[in-house]
Amino acid sequence: VTSDWAPSNKVMSLTEAVSGSVRSGDTIFIGGFGHCIPFALARAIVRSDIRHLTVCKTGADIVLDLLVASGSVDEIVVGWFGNPGLGISHVISRALSVGQLRLSESTNFAVLLRLHAARLGVPFLPTRTIAPGNLRDRTRDVETVTCPFTGEELTAVPALVPDVALIHAQRADRDGNVQMWGVTGDTVIGAEASRRVICTVEEIVESTTIRTNPDRTILAGHRVNAIVAATRGAVPSYVEGHYPRDDAFYQQFQTHSKDASWVDEFVARIRRNEEDAAWSSA
Amino acid sequence: VVLSMIQLAWNAATQFVDGERVFVGIGHPALAAMVARRTLAPHISMLFESGVDAADPQRAPLSTGGAEVAAGAARHGDMLDAFADLQQGLIDLGVLGAAQVDRGGNLNSTVVGSYDTPRVRLPGSGGAHDIAVLARRVLVVQPHDPKRLVDKVWFTTCPGWHEGREHPVGGVLRRGPVAVATERGLFTLQQGELVLTAVTAGGTVADALEGLDWRAGSTSLAELPPLPDDLESRFGDLFSGSS
Repeated sequence: VTSDWAPSNKVMSLTEAVSGSVRSGDTIFIGGFGHCIPFALARAIVRSDIRHLTVCKTGADIVLDLLVASGSVDEIVVGWFGNPGLGISHVISRALSVGQLRLSESTNFAVLLRLHAARLGVPFLPTRTIAPGNLRDRTRDVETVTCPFTGEELTAVPALVPDVALIHAQRADRDGNVQMWGVTGDTVIGAEASRRVICTVEEIVESTTIRTNPDRTILAGHRVNAIVAATRGAVPSYVEGHYPRDDAFYQQFQTHSKDASWVDEFVARIRRNEEDAAWSSA
Repeated sequence: VVLSMIQLAWNAATQFVDGERVFVGIGHPALAAMVARRTLAPHISMLFESGVDAADPQRAPLSTGGAEVAAGAARHGDMLDAFADLQQGLIDLGVLGAAQVDRGGNLNSTVVGSYDTPRVRLPGSGGAHDIAVLARRVLVVQPHDPKRLVDKVWFTTCPGWHEGREHPVGGVLRRGPVAVATERGLFTLQQGELVLTAVTAGGTVADALEGLDWRAGSTSLAELPPLPDDLESRFGDLFSGSS
């Protein structure tokens, strides 16, 4: 292949990407919002010996349950955690109740603004959310700030800089240019806030495909450290244009995750690489 | 489909104002907006926190980022687009549910029991606190249940009526929860308290207040518009996929 933009090659295996970019003690951001949840990357972390992670996300998915159940997470920084549309997280509730996990909770907008501050390269952002009351009292990292121009009092939230963002998208090229369409939610904001980005994709395509549709590019290659081909890497969530959400799996997980031993076996199956069994068993 | 769920969605739908921009949560709020859009308020524009704007879901979504929300929308923005419009004051009506709502319009989605040692740890605010604080007004859609319509919430995830709500914030009045729809009636905010101001067509005040410490706003109450006979047959598909 000849080109005049000096292509690099950021394509690597899932294991290489995770061991090369995620370290114990890191703060990680999880991309996807209902759509394109990076389950393949989460499973790779479960299989690794990476520990003591802080995981941040506006509104989480059961991918967070998986990471917490594996024992690799010390703290979550979230606006919401649970099983979307179905209810509470039994896994996270248990981990919190036994003191295995710390919770830093605020709201989806507040977490988003903390990431956006990092993305903008400023130490904080002012906002009108986080009103005085119970939630504010329980929200760490919130202060009052006076606008130097109007004198108005606002809430200030500090920048949150993840060490690494884990995202899944439809496609990318070897340079690391990532294309994603459909719902993106907080994906781009969180990825651009992060020091490193790992991206799994349904397919790796030629750069000409990317460069003839640059309006679909959410991250240019210079912001992306690793590209991994991971077909069906967002299952059981969905990928626009590829596969639908496995609603039945989310339902089963909600029912069975009440039982801690079921969750332990679920994690063990992932560690044994019995992924098909883990993701279809009831 | 359970009739009470359709009645709840309908009663809430009667409170939408045609042409308004509405910020919609998952569950009963989304169903209410979907029914309103097909009946009394065809020109509302639905925004979901995922950033999907001018959405028109055909089936009850499980997630604000779901394919049901994404399909047929006018725009896939991102989450910052959604909350930016909310903070600017561009959202007329936020539509929320909660584990509990109290007479002051405070909502709890955080804990059952005490915060530090909860009996049940709930999912938390999500975007609900942001919507309750920043929308021009908020409609709460809540099944009739004395455990969920209470005198005082365990934890105020979303603030209801309080001093200061009568003053503009960023040039915009943001009144918070001003109404609670149940399948039995409608409560609206009067002098800082949610009181029963209408009952379901054919229903009674006693039914609408059954088991609650809440009160009626006056001795003779209006009836909400009757549930259209054909709502389930015409729009039953809306309810598939939800609980």
